[in-house]
Amino acid sequence: MSGSLEVIFRNKKAVVGLAIVLAYVAIAVAAPWITEHAPMQRVGRPHEPPSMDQLLGTTRMGRDVFTQLIWGTRTSLFVGFLAGLIVTVIGVTLGITAGYLGGWVDEVINFFTNIALVIPQLPLLLVIAAFVGQASPMVIALIIGLTSWAWGARVTRAQTMSLRRREFIEASELAGEPTWRMIAVELLPNLLSIIGFNFIGSVIYTIITEATLEFLGLGDPNAVSWGTMLYNAQTSSAIMIGAWWEVAAPASFIAVIGIGLSLINFAIDEISNPRLRTLGTVAKAAKAQRAIDRARVDATAPEA
Amino acid sequence: MPFVLRRIGFYIVAFCAAAVINFLIPRLMPGDPIDFMFAKAENTLPPEARAALLKTFGFAVGPLHEQFLAYLRSVFTWDLGYSVKFYPLTVSQVLGYALPWTVFLAGTSAILAFSVGSITGILAAWRRGGAFDSVASPLALAVQAIPAVVVALAALFVFGVALKWLPTGYAFDPKLDPGWSPQFIGSVAHSAIMPVVSLAFVHIGGYLVTMRNNMIGQLGEDHVVMGLAKGLSDRRVRYNYAARNALLPSVTAFALTIGSVMGGSLVTEVVFNYPGLGRTLYVAIVARDYPLIQGQLLVMTLAMLTANLAVDLAYVFLDPRLRRA
Repeated sequence: MSGSLEVIFRNKKAVVGLAIVLAYVAIAVAAPWITEHAPMQRVGRPHEPPSMDQLLGTTRMGRDVFTQLIWGTRTSLFVGFLAGLIVTVIGVTLGITAGYLGGWVDEVINFFTNIALVIPQLPLLLVIAAFVGQASPMVIALIIGLTSWAWGARVTRAQTMSLRRREFIEASELAGEPTWRMIAVELLPNLLSIIGFNFIGSVIYTIITEATLEFLGLGDPNAVSWGTMLYNAQTSSAIMIGAWWEVAAPASFIAVIGIGLSLINFAIDEISNPRLRTLGTVAKAAKAQRAIDRARVDATAPEA
Repeated sequence: MPFVLRRIGFYIVAFCAAAVINFLIPRLMPGDPIDFMFAKAENTLPPEARAALLKTFGFAVGPLHEQFLAYLRSVFTWDLGYSVKFYPLTVSQVLGYALPWTVFLAGTSAILAFSVGSITGILAAWRRGGAFDSVASPLALAVQAIPAVVVALAALFVFGVALKWLPTGYAFDPKLDPGWSPQFIGSVAHSAIMPVVSLAFVHIGGYLVTMRNNMIGQLGEDHVVMGLAKGLSDRRVRYNYAARNALLPSVTAFALTIGSVMGGSLVTEVVFNYPGLGRTLYVAIVARDYPLIQGQLLVMTLAMLTANLAVDLAYVFLDPRLRRA
């Protein structure tokens, strides 16, 4: 275990990404202690610019942007991780079932996966959310979770199929291992990097999509989240009247968590596929090679 | 060409699936959308519109399978009923006006993002670990995690409101008459700069990374080494030997991102007040115009399937194996 931790900490992208995500989790957990007001409380006049009292200014309704931002972190992370979990569980279950069992089961699952892949996601979500009406963050998480599994299912299926033909799988099948053990002990550990990639990708997707749905006015306007902050800013024309802080705060928070999570994802990709490693590793290898060359030259030099 | 025929068959099935989903969603949801719409429309709708709406949704009229048949007929005759918000215009009229703008916006951005992303990806892979790669690749990773709404809002504030370089809304200067005059086309192009570039911006990173990773895989292959050993120019090896093969997965990625470009275009249009499907959808959502919202899903599914078909044709062009199979 310590060996794999070391692999993670040697990757700079993973370290930076983890630091960002952990900082957000800390903010979400500590929300009641960081902020002085309730998020929906009026603390000043409309559209006050940032000052010592209101660190990030106030909204059209005179609410504190900083407080809303911090509490919004809670909502967005919760929605992101919940939907990410649902997407991953559905995607992995379908993907492994299809890839491992094959035959007509595979045909049926694969057919539905392909259809789900070509129906445009966001418009579908918009239609569902519009009929639900003022969807709460929890409902948004469920809707996203239940409709966005197709990509994960396809990738997991492909990887399962390629593993299925490997010798160690065939060997354990010949040894008579039961199906549950084949899946849990032989297949799952080899799918971990893909599952992790899928989970984190889904969390990013959900956070972005939740913000988009709410920005478009499909969320519950009384919920406190980054998306509703953007929605309120849009409906009060905050940008046009120069109240940039009302938009900049949630926008930059969404951008940074997205960057943090995708750094982790690319680290997973690099750790599982060493060819993709960038700069640091390549430069290090080149340096090591030069040192060897120099040592060789030095060793042969005195004789010449 | 059995490959293309197979794909077309699949797209027809996929469209039917979308139509079925569209049929089921309002029926699975609690409450009666008709009453809600009428409450919203504040009695501006005549009773015959209510009858038409009832027919479109098929609520409480006949058993489910009859409702479904009536619905299917309306989908395939493209008679999608009246828009509540834009009454007396029909849904197909409203969508017909909005669709070209979205196709223009999403299409231009998708092609821009694909070309810029792929070319920079090729260069980054060619000098892996070099100065360009070490700046562009991490930057690309960061950029592709930023949502379209954030980029659009930032661009609007910086270039539209603060610097006043570019128009902040509409597809063309409202003072001009639409037509093929140079003035009008210039105005359309000028207004499109910000929406197109900010929408493309989000997707460039993804193509750069995909292309770079495929290229790196290709550069280790025998045929590339052979090309270099034969003394072909770098250019030739880079584009004709490595990039052409590396492009195939990128084209698949292109097909998969069409949906997200369309989604991004919905948001971008709202931010820039652009008269496409996204803007229409926004208005429809605010007005709870359910027939219009549902028509959107069908139109966007059609657009997406058409785009996918175009990608399949590109695949046949790029991969000679598909032509023989």
